Amino acid sequence: MLSQISQLLPPELKRLLENLPPEAKMHLEEVRIRENRPLEISFKGQFKFADASGRLLSGPDGAYAPTAEQCRKLLERMTNYSLYAMEEELRRGYITVTGGHRIGLAGRTVLDGGVVRGIRDIGGFNIRIAREVVGAAAHLLPKLLDRKRKTAESTLIVAPPQQGKTTLIRDIARSLSYGVKKAADGTDWPGKKVGIVDERSEIAACVRGVPTFDVGPRTDVMDACPKAEGMMMLLRSMSPEVLVADEIGRAEDAEAIREASHAGVAVIATAHAYDARDACGRPELRRLLQDGSFTQVVELKRTAEGIMHRIYGARSLLQPSSGADIPRMPAVSGFEGHIRSRPRES
Amino acid sequence: MIKLLGAALILFAGTMIGFQQAARIAERPRQLRALSHALSRLETEIGYGHTPLPEALTRTADTAEEPIRGMLRGAAAGLWNADGLSFRESWDEAVRKHWSATAMKKNEQAIVLRLGSTLGISDKDDQKKHLKLALLQLQAEEDAAREEQSRYEKMWKSLGVLIAVLIVILMV
Repeated sequence: MLSQISQLLPPELKRLLENLPPEAKMHLEEVRIRENRPLEISFKGQFKFADASGRLLSGPDGAYAPTAEQCRKLLERMTNYSLYAMEEELRRGYITVTGGHRIGLAGRTVLDGGVVRGIRDIGGFNIRIAREVVGAAAHLLPKLLDRKRKTAESTLIVAPPQQGKTTLIRDIARSLSYGVKKAADGTDWPGKKVGIVDERSEIAACVRGVPTFDVGPRTDVMDACPKAEGMMMLLRSMSPEVLVADEIGRAEDAEAIREASHAGVAVIATAHAYDARDACGRPELRRLLQDGSFTQVVELKRTAEGIMHRIYGARSLLQPSSGADIPRMPAVSGFEGHIRSRPRES
Repeated sequence: MIKLLGAALILFAGTMIGFQQAARIAERPRQLRALSHALSRLETEIGYGHTPLPEALTRTADTAEEPIRGMLRGAAAGLWNADGLSFRESWDEAVRKHWSATAMKKNEQAIVLRLGSTLGISDKDDQKKHLKLALLQLQAEEDAAREEQSRYEKMWKSLGVLIAVLIVILMV
């Protein structure tokens, strides 16, 4: 896992990362590289600085500062020496590399008629490490199955960034695709045809169209494709029974999800929102809940023990009378179950 | 008898030296043309195919002939090795290593080396501009090389024989 990242790094930074304490290396979440400024790493939800020998420091004093030359080499390597082939990615501000890791970029933007066309003079990188956690959805999965219709419930998963939405949705896709042996009601669930629209190549981490994460034997992936269009393409061409998409929220996404649900296809999607009520406040999501395109909402919250989830029915969430009664996020113990306690090292 | 043999050897050697020089002069515009073709192919790969640079270089190398093929292959091979070379370093190394095998001169080497600091690190339009500029400069060099060829190629061929004849006459 770390090797996929370290081959992108210039030799000095690579050595530094290899010398980090084992605990930090194992749970590494982000590496933040800023030109001529202290190197910052994040693991297990905490932030530290690192010095040239890989020792962790709590403050920026004495920390290693990557040079301009190293940043240029890093940029060259992560764009595969081809900035010109990454125009779309630069416009969006991040690049997804082999292994599904996402590298966020900051720098001086290039404007074209008031619209951001790209970033140049890139001076800040945030390497977010993707982890495949097989079994992340095991606790949640029984609640996603619709026993009567023998398919999955259309579910919207909401959480703020960095709470494990993508990890979860990847494992849901994998589990549904493999099928569930001995589900809660004692019967076996055969695998479903799953279609993933992977706009940012994070769910399946495709390299040349082939997923590098295990997303299941019956899964088709539309890689680097705009969500709305991708969902329509999959509906027309691959006849999926379950559609999976990450971070929906635009009007055209909603249109495609509505279309899918009319076709009897279950949609499992994530959205950025603080919690379920916050999601209801977003007009597109609210409308989708109102017309029944999503039948339930799952809220995620990350705690020291792992990721907690809590499930709401779409209808109960929307009723104006009970809407006010929905409790705000309670203490951890109030949650219905926890999804995982430790990430599996892959 | 031995004198005759020696004279024949000198004549043969002189002719060969002349022909070799002529061949070098004839080879330069041909290689410049091949280099231009390779660079326009690279421009197509970058501008229209959006092919990543290492792959674009290998593909271009496949259609080019030696010694340009070896140069492009070398530049692509240096990229993903463990030393963490930047593109400019890898390109520099490959060009300098393979240049002695070509009939080309310093001028065109400077043009090609300059490309190393621009390829891959800007957007598509910029890449195309840089490649176009290099192509124009190479075209100018090629024209000069052709003129040189028309002027000196025949001269070297006859000069070799004539000098050999002169030496034989002086020796006899």
